[in-house]
Amino acid sequence: MRHYHPRVDVTHRYRYVPADFVKHLMGTTLVVAVLTAVLSGVFHEPVRPALKINTYATTHPKEFLTVALGDLNGTGTIANYGPPYNHGTGSVQDFVQKWIGVIHPVYPREDFVLKPLGYAAHLNPGLAPALKQFTHASSAQQRRWEKAFGGSLKQARVQGSQVLLPSGAYGPVGTMMQGLLELGQSGLMAGALNRSPADYQFDNQNALLFLQGSPLHNAAKKLELEGNQWGIIHEERAPYPGPWWMTIVTAIYQIPFIANASAADALALGSGMVIFLVLMLAPWIPGINRLPRLLGVHRVIWRKFYATHQPDPVDISHSS
Amino acid sequence: MNWTAYIRQKMGVLFSMDTWLPTELPEYAMGLMYTLGSLTASSFVILVLSGIIMAANGPQWWTISSIGFYLRGIHFWAVQAFFFFMILHLLRVFFSGAWRGGRERTWMLGTLALLVAIPTAFTGYLMRGDFYSQWNAVQSKDGLNALGFAWLNPLNAGQMYGLHVVVMPIILGTIIAIHIAFIRIKGVVPPYPSHEELEEILNKEVP
Repeated sequence: MRHYHPRVDVTHRYRYVPADFVKHLMGTTLVVAVLTAVLSGVFHEPVRPALKINTYATTHPKEFLTVALGDLNGTGTIANYGPPYNHGTGSVQDFVQKWIGVIHPVYPREDFVLKPLGYAAHLNPGLAPALKQFTHASSAQQRRWEKAFGGSLKQARVQGSQVLLPSGAYGPVGTMMQGLLELGQSGLMAGALNRSPADYQFDNQNALLFLQGSPLHNAAKKLELEGNQWGIIHEERAPYPGPWWMTIVTAIYQIPFIANASAADALALGSGMVIFLVLMLAPWIPGINRLPRLLGVHRVIWRKFYATHQPDPVDISHSS
Repeated sequence: MNWTAYIRQKMGVLFSMDTWLPTELPEYAMGLMYTLGSLTASSFVILVLSGIIMAANGPQWWTISSIGFYLRGIHFWAVQAFFFFMILHLLRVFFSGAWRGGRERTWMLGTLALLVAIPTAFTGYLMRGDFYSQWNAVQSKDGLNALGFAWLNPLNAGQMYGLHVVVMPIILGTIIAIHIAFIRIKGVVPPYPSHEELEEILNKEVP
């Protein structure tokens, strides 16, 4: 089957009319320039202030400590994530992810807790003995302290930005965690987290990974930005338009089979790519490549032309 | 024809005024429907111009200065315009069966421009430096990691900045330029021919 004819679908069979393309391009550019200049002047761009660690540590001190404890005892999402951050298994969706390996190493116990506490100990000398006691203890002892701290934290009371812990057998972990909370509230924690081997910092990875669990998720849920809330395409401040061009992939995320799969992202993005390939290869896909003629929208597009020239248009692929 | 002459001939067509700035167009390629592609390209021009000014002033300027914030608003609405006109243009060319007459490559490049525009815009959303940037960065990392693209680290603002202001616009701009060159060289797809025209041409070919 032939989809076109070299002597039919060619422009030189048609009459040409004078056209000023320079004026045309200047015109369209001017239209967009004026449109965007006015829209920016009137509506600006929506901004939802970033979630800062010091704000979170001050307004949610108990949750902050829960996150930090997960990082310390290895139960946190990132501590268990797997490649490319570490050797965990919690967020490994497929073999490709595993095959890529640990290329952005992040070990939350050290990187999110012990190292920042090490920096904080320079400013707060009371932290140094606790840190030393903890790091020199056996791992079994460390586990017992962490467990005891977790139990006490559940019963802790919050007073303003303070967490009042009941006493327990958590050894130095209580001092350490209170020290980490102070560091968090001070505004210095993001700097303590984002430390790359290079001297200049262009990388927010660890500060974002520290916040990525419940802090960012709870904030996003309130704004209906989570994946199962069609969050990808929502602008955070209605009625501003969001990135609506990702509607198809967002819709795929709403399919229960995909949303509940352990490899949800791989499946959703993979399906999105298949849909894209259908669009891209439409000229070669039987049925789809003839759809435009069958749908007849072209009669509207070339209404004037057909009215004066050819009342009965057909598709060449139909006849050859 | 030897290869240097071949290249000279092709380049002559590619870089000619008739290709890029024609003085006449086919009579069927007139009207609002035929400004949608140009409006998309013009939105890209506005994106590049506002982007260059923002890049020249550094990545915090658009957050802390009022002029920077205004420029950022232009950039934001220009990307909305870019996709809006692009989708309308896509619908127009789809309903025209625009791949006919050996124009499959033009169609493929157009769809590829749409595909590449999505991560180009996405890396821009990561440059806003607000909650939306934070949230998109942590949400997108799982998909990238799962698909084996972990070297693209959306949490690394420096890497995303480089991708957004240099790498992605160059790739997208090149695709758009080749797409436009194909349209201009091949010409805009003509309307579906009538039965009579078809009979006449096919009969001539196969007596």
